[in-house]
Amino acid sequence: MIFREVEDRDLIAKARRGDVEAYNLLVSRWEKRVFNYLLRLTGHREDALDVSQETFLKAYQNLPKLDDPARFTGWLFRIAHNEAYSLLRRRRPEADLAGEPRPANTGGRMLPIELSLAVEGALKTLSEDQREAVLLKVYQGFKFEEMAEILGCPVSTVKSRLYTALDLLKNTLAPAVLRKEAVRGEHV
Amino acid sequence: MFEANMSCKLNDSRPDWKSYALGELDADARREAEQHAASCNACQDELAGLRVTLDALATLREEEVPRRIAFVSDKVFEPKWWENFWRPPSFAAGAVVAAAILVHAFVRPPANPAMNSASIEARITAVVQEQVRADVDRRVAAEVSAAVSTAVQQAVTKAVADTEKRDDQRTVQLLAAAEQRYAETAEILNKQVSRIYAMNTGAGVR
Repeated sequence: MIFREVEDRDLIAKARRGDVEAYNLLVSRWEKRVFNYLLRLTGHREDALDVSQETFLKAYQNLPKLDDPARFTGWLFRIAHNEAYSLLRRRRPEADLAGEPRPANTGGRMLPIELSLAVEGALKTLSEDQREAVLLKVYQGFKFEEMAEILGCPVSTVKSRLYTALDLLKNTLAPAVLRKEAVRGEHV
Repeated sequence: MFEANMSCKLNDSRPDWKSYALGELDADARREAEQHAASCNACQDELAGLRVTLDALATLREEEVPRRIAFVSDKVFEPKWWENFWRPPSFAAGAVVAAAILVHAFVRPPANPAMNSASIEARITAVVQEQVRADVDRRVAAEVSAAVSTAVQQAVTKAVADTEKRDDQRTVQLLAAAEQRYAETAEILNKQVSRIYAMNTGAGVR
């Protein structure tokens, strides 16, 4: 991880001097993480891809303004967050009509793929703020302070959103988890 | 133990188990929390519930990027050939023209009284026009080739994504069908067992 950070910093320095290939390498390293974050946030593959594209383009254009290359990851996700919310604000009426939360599967046995689908459904029942807090912490591994910078809010707000989200997810996923445990018990 | 649980819930110094499970506590706080949990059933239950939830969240599949992000060096970010064409002449282009004039001056045949400055200018113009035409042709060919290549790549990527999507849908359908068959088979077996049981019981009575 340390070596990776050093390499990223080196690539950023090269990209800031106009080395396009160095930036391309940075994109290839981060595109999957950024795309998955945006996919879960927007709920649409094409939107996630478009916003990923915009994010990397804006990052390239603003790279000279990045004060500390060690903070590249948080800075990149901050751009992705802003781009995603800009899109969500534009699409709000449409999203309200089409974005009915999908209930988690409540019948039958629970296989791993079904649990994954149940998690996907449970995440969609959260508010955008709560879902984003879960995405940044659980799936992207950011610290509370980094999340506060990305989201532009105090750490206390970050914790509040995340804790509420975890309580809601615990209740939503409990039946699915119990069924999976039951299936595992049968196989043992 | 119940008393201990109740007092734990009211205690201000109760560990922040969500921060603990999310790896936000420092080493000292973690140690204290673990010592507390060792003698508190309520906290053990809370921590176990959190871990189950986080484990479930970890099953969410990470998606592949359906097609690569267009890089800043890609053709889409480059100026079009006609934009380049209308730009002011570059230093290199100017140097080529200057070199052509110099070479022409040194290698030209002995002075021909019939050749005046107008004809020299016409020849230079013809050379430059030919060079520009060749350059334009080369750029058009490169642009067309790049466009075709991009279109083919996008078509292939889309076809692969569509196939994956169909496969996923098919998997879900197969799972549902298998589950239904399982339920039906279980029901049939239950009925058969009940029938056999009833027959046996009936025989016993007789």
